[in-house]
Amino acid sequence: MYSEPVVIIPPLRAVAKIGVMAAITALVGWGSHRLGLAPTSLSMVAVCTFIAVICTTLFFWTHRVAVAFIGVAVLIGSRAMTLHGMLRATELDIIFFLIGMMVIVGALKDLGFLTWVIQAIINKKRMNGMTFTVILCSLSALLSSVVDEVSSIVVVLALVFQVCDTLKVRSSPFVLMAVLCTNIGSAATMLGNPVGIFIGNKAGFNFSQFLSGATPISFVSLLVTLGIVLIWYRKTIHQMTLVMEEHRQVHHGLGPLIRIPYRRGLFVLVATVLIIAFHHQIENILGLTGVENKNAFLIITPLVIAGLLMIYRPGRARHYIEHDVEWWTLLFFMLLFAIAGGLEEQGITQNLADKLTGLVKGGPTAMVPFVLAISAVGSAFVDNIVFVAAFTPVIQALVERSAEFSLLWWALLFGACFGGNITAVGSTANIVALGLLEKRGHLHIAFFEWLKIGAVVGIVTCVIAWLMLTFMPMPHPAGHPVVEREVIGPLHEPHLSPKTAQ
Amino acid sequence: MAHPDVPGQPADGQTGRNDCMRKKAVPTKNSLALTSFFSADDILIHQEEGSRNQVIRHLLMHLANGHGMMEVDGYYNAIIERENANDTVVANGIAIPHARLDNLQRPYVGVATSAKGIPFAEDKPPVHLILLVLIPRDQPGLYLQILRSLASILRDRNAARTVSHLKGAEEVMRFFERGGMVLPEYVCAADIMRDELITLRNNDNLKTAIDCFISENLSEIPVVDRDGDMVGVVSAGTLLKVCLPDYLLWMSDLSPIVNFEPFTSVLRNEQSTWLSDILLNEYASVQMNAPAVSVAGEMTRRNASKCYVLNGKKLMGIIDLPIFLNKVFRE
Repeated sequence: MYSEPVVIIPPLRAVAKIGVMAAITALVGWGSHRLGLAPTSLSMVAVCTFIAVICTTLFFWTHRVAVAFIGVAVLIGSRAMTLHGMLRATELDIIFFLIGMMVIVGALKDLGFLTWVIQAIINKKRMNGMTFTVILCSLSALLSSVVDEVSSIVVVLALVFQVCDTLKVRSSPFVLMAVLCTNIGSAATMLGNPVGIFIGNKAGFNFSQFLSGATPISFVSLLVTLGIVLIWYRKTIHQMTLVMEEHRQVHHGLGPLIRIPYRRGLFVLVATVLIIAFHHQIENILGLTGVENKNAFLIITPLVIAGLLMIYRPGRARHYIEHDVEWWTLLFFMLLFAIAGGLEEQGITQNLADKLTGLVKGGPTAMVPFVLAISAVGSAFVDNIVFVAAFTPVIQALVERSAEFSLLWWALLFGACFGGNITAVGSTANIVALGLLEKRGHLHIAFFEWLKIGAVVGIVTCVIAWLMLTFMPMPHPAGHPVVEREVIGPLHEPHLSPKTAQ
Repeated sequence: MAHPDVPGQPADGQTGRNDCMRKKAVPTKNSLALTSFFSADDILIHQEEGSRNQVIRHLLMHLANGHGMMEVDGYYNAIIERENANDTVVANGIAIPHARLDNLQRPYVGVATSAKGIPFAEDKPPVHLILLVLIPRDQPGLYLQILRSLASILRDRNAARTVSHLKGAEEVMRFFERGGMVLPEYVCAADIMRDELITLRNNDNLKTAIDCFISENLSEIPVVDRDGDMVGVVSAGTLLKVCLPDYLLWMSDLSPIVNFEPFTSVLRNEQSTWLSDILLNEYASVQMNAPAVSVAGEMTRRNASKCYVLNGKKLMGIIDLPIFLNKVFRE
């Protein structure tokens, strides 16, 4: 379990930050009222509560769960949200999925599979700086696409630290490369990022649909990112090649060589991914159809496998639950989803959808760059799940008007995941990586050092996503009502793109 | 080889033992004067004959007669047992034999002087001023508070000789009253710390640390920078962690590691691995003027067996758990 360092803020600075938070919250609350997004006082309470939580993640990251607790209490206490609505909005299905996946990752570590992965790389013959970079970036993307991004970055950074410490090479450039590729890879499947499972489940994509839409874009983005980092860090990579050569000449390896029994772990991982990949077919066989059973087997697969693993390793079961599940993060997600549910319950997201369709002419295709840009910039400064939680009901409202708008789910996914690369606070993986670097190497990556490469990669990958979303046929959610409902509000001419015909 | 540093040690070679201990306790509204524990009747002057034990017994009998104490033999045995375990000669010809005793309602202090001097410990000069301190068992820290109230005479090299030449008990009493000796409100961390400690520098390498661990038989060594500021600790556990990378420890079953494969690369790199790269920043620490009880809190919270005493960032001393327990429960 990753433990977060507690940041102590000097009192004066804290007061200044609270002042800025209060000003932003009040301004957005007032602005949303003036724009007609939050016409009633209760809807203004919902907006202000949500903005206060966003500001907390920006200014007081350590206190995000505490403020989210208070936020939920404010919504219920002010009657901006009902208790029933709050419980419904917590998205327990997604939380259970994430718990199951975290237990599986804990077991993969315990069974030695992830140790074997690291050892296999550090003992690779004829490795140089460039091959290490290519392997590092590929592993980061691959691992983050099958296990969650936080577990992935912890594993990949263990590799980075082992190699860099042994060679006495500065580790921070390689940490940056790993994080950039982790965020890109995490968008490739529903397993990689909480954002992925959230969007996939909300939109109604099954695993293979999600894979066919997200993986090509992530893969192309990864290749381009790899090219960028190879050029950007060419001197560091060259230096690593020289040191590796020296190291090899004295017959020194990059780490201990131990026979690790990895097969059980590999079996668990392959079985999990395969069962999840075929969840839709299994659901059909089991008769788990209809809206009420949407992605039911996808959600319960990690729980079933986690349960079997805990029976297989009874002595470690409690450890998996108590140490490998990030309860703090999951609790924050639940509360955040509940607070975002307040926006929906007060009709704010519906109003925002109306405004957006009126503001951006040209239908879903024209809205793609808009949603991409908004979610990328937003995710650069607040945790991406916060933005996705806020935007999801808006897109849901749009999709209910026309299935064409399901394209925006992808824009939201890639904006949130790729935009998370722009700054050091853009995603949970970034924050975890910085914490590990500071704890392990007593090093820090300066905000602008990150921003330079992060902005380049973030913008380039978002542009790639935009182009591919425009020209590549994207799947529509399974079982989504394609019969268009009566359009309420400014959207009167649903745009039919060539992709819809397919 | 490691170089033992004594941080905060004054240039004149005197031990840097805590400023807190040396500083006179500042009287406050609730301060107790040392003289509130005894009167001129409890003072025996010019005890020129007899051994350590005889003087202690004589002084104890004198106190017992004056205050109606019944269990003199038991008290005497407890004092001598404590004295045999570790002599109580504190400085410059002053000894403070003491014991924590049952059935005692309040602290008692008896004073004896000897111009000729009484030999108290083989390796120390004769003692001219003896303060016999009897403390109720359930009052931890009182002895240390009394000791700290004596800071001014402990500092003065001639104080014991001066007192021993005074002609009457009243004069001795006035000496203590004039000194304004008051008990501090609480025992601070500096009162119980040990200031002779071995440190490593952050630019030392792993080889130095391993040598130091082996030669000094230590389990944890503080690391300081060139200014004596504490920057972290290295422990035997840290060294093992360097040998066994995190990714190996992810596995609960380490049976695949049958030989010392993970130690090989560490042995190769021990001279080029700097302590600044591996030291731990998380350790138990308190400021030197913090109440000693906060040491207990800090050690418990961090599950540590040592607590470092700092003055700002500068390392001043260390409190080991056994020493802490001894001070609280036995001293």
